Amino acid sequence: MSKPTAGIFGLTGCAGDQLVILNCEDQLLDLVALIDIRDFLMAGSANDTGCDLDIAFVEGAVMSKRDEQALRRVRARARTLVAIGTCAVWGGVAATDESAPRDAWLEEVYGPTGADYDSLPARALHEVVQVDYQITGCPIEKDEFVSAVANLLNGDAPLLPQYAVCVECKFRECGCLLTERGEVCCGPMTVAGCNARCPALRIPCVGCRGPAADANFASATAMFTEGGVSPQDVARKLRTFAPQGVQQ
Amino acid sequence: MKILKLRKDRLDFFASVVQQFGEVHAPVEVDGGYAFRRLSRWSEARLNYPRTILPPKKYFLPQRETLFRFVPEKGYVPSAEGLDTRIILFGMHACDIYSLNILDMVFGGAYPDPYYQARRKHIVIIGIDCIPDKHCFCRSMRADFVDHGFDLFFYDIGDYYLTMVGTALGDDMVLATGPLFEQPAEADVDEYKRRSSNKRAAFQLEVEIRDLPEIFEMEYQSGIWDELGEKCLSCGSCSMVCPTCYCYDVADSADLGTRDGARMRIWDSCLFSTHALVAGGENFRHSRASRIKFRFYHKQRGFVAEYGRPSCVGCGRCVAACPVKIDIVEVLERLRGVQHAVSH
Repeated sequence: MSKPTAGIFGLTGCAGDQLVILNCEDQLLDLVALIDIRDFLMAGSANDTGCDLDIAFVEGAVMSKRDEQALRRVRARARTLVAIGTCAVWGGVAATDESAPRDAWLEEVYGPTGADYDSLPARALHEVVQVDYQITGCPIEKDEFVSAVANLLNGDAPLLPQYAVCVECKFRECGCLLTERGEVCCGPMTVAGCNARCPALRIPCVGCRGPAADANFASATAMFTEGGVSPQDVARKLRTFAPQGVQQ
Repeated sequence: MKILKLRKDRLDFFASVVQQFGEVHAPVEVDGGYAFRRLSRWSEARLNYPRTILPPKKYFLPQRETLFRFVPEKGYVPSAEGLDTRIILFGMHACDIYSLNILDMVFGGAYPDPYYQARRKHIVIIGIDCIPDKHCFCRSMRADFVDHGFDLFFYDIGDYYLTMVGTALGDDMVLATGPLFEQPAEADVDEYKRRSSNKRAAFQLEVEIRDLPEIFEMEYQSGIWDELGEKCLSCGSCSMVCPTCYCYDVADSADLGTRDGARMRIWDSCLFSTHALVAGGENFRHSRASRIKFRFYHKQRGFVAEYGRPSCVGCGRCVAACPVKIDIVEVLERLRGVQHAVSH
């Protein structure tokens, strides 16, 4: 049986998720032995840009007509499409302010040529094409990527946590930044998988992985405003990485 | 029960002797809180602590564990890792020991859990008495005192610890120290009784649990549950820190490139929206209100029906851990309070 073919692509984003894949040093040789990575511009220049793909991993948000075309092309080639990273899953930082006066900003930054720029409000992949699986994170976690590949190769859905960062924070027995220090920690609203990396270092969670299942933003907002943070600041904080998730 | 006493200033010597019985774990300070950890030096132990972030449950039912490794069509090999490690939990409070006695009913009942039971067999428990703080209501839950479930239990009586010997192993530890332990005198007994009654008086919280299951039954439609559902963040912190929450999820972790793998067990919570989600997408507790209601009902009513007492031991951890200050004592008081408008 021939190896499954795969492609790894980036739309508008920082390329951090693709970099995480390249940083899976301990598993890279196993990965390339198991899957035939045909199209991965960040890692090589000799790519087959037209072949069918069993699995496509796509990072970044859709922020231009060019992104949209690229994504549709990948979708047409791929049997399974996996969104990787918070931008691809939720729109990410670029989607924070959907009411931004884009035309005015383009003109302010680029002058009269700004009007011709190919720039659209940021969208998550699922707003444009059908997405089969989503691996969130800013960037994604190595472990979650590798175990997702292991599951996909077996024809299984990747198994990812849907509960909040607090769970992993408690697993590690970290002091609670919310109850002990009154900090604006987004752990209760944010989906786990990072092993509470930031709270374990006494840094409040900023919500970079996007919302946990059934996150209660109304109650969280009340909690923070009671702690003296303005509702606007709370809203801004919660919207930073996954504004769509907050609207839900 | 054999009752002895130990001079407080000889406790460190006693600790050095019990090391021969296993790894000594005790509460240590972590970031302003406390956690049971393996000691590298006895001086790290903090026996005068209010409560640890996680209960000692983590030693018997770890947050994540491998149950077995499997190879399809060949079979499976149960994991034995760490199951027979001799650990001494030094400084457990009565409520936490009580919670293990409760977990014993769950993991030793109709479906005995060999992993839990192996650890329970190998872990030595040395209890220590404590002073209730503002979150403690263990006395109301009848868990402020334990008469079994420990190997040794120390009660502070001034210059000495009055020592209850709970098991033959506890007795072996006492004997291994030579003449270190002494017979208590009448004055020691008086001091124990005096402190015991002081402790009773020190509780700031009180919950009446008699007829509580019946009140839960009657208040099934109470508006309190919706109110709590609006407040609850579903973060699961209360379940994680609960000494008697024993829900777990089981999932397979595949090895890259094969169908071999490991069957994993990980703590779960009835507050998670996936807890009652079943194949086909049906969710029996879709709303947050139904989930937090379930948690309260299971602790205070369902468990009573099955095991004869609430599973809550009144340790106060859930109250301290809730970011939105959901307080079980307050909820129980409100449920018990007269709240229905009189209609004519």
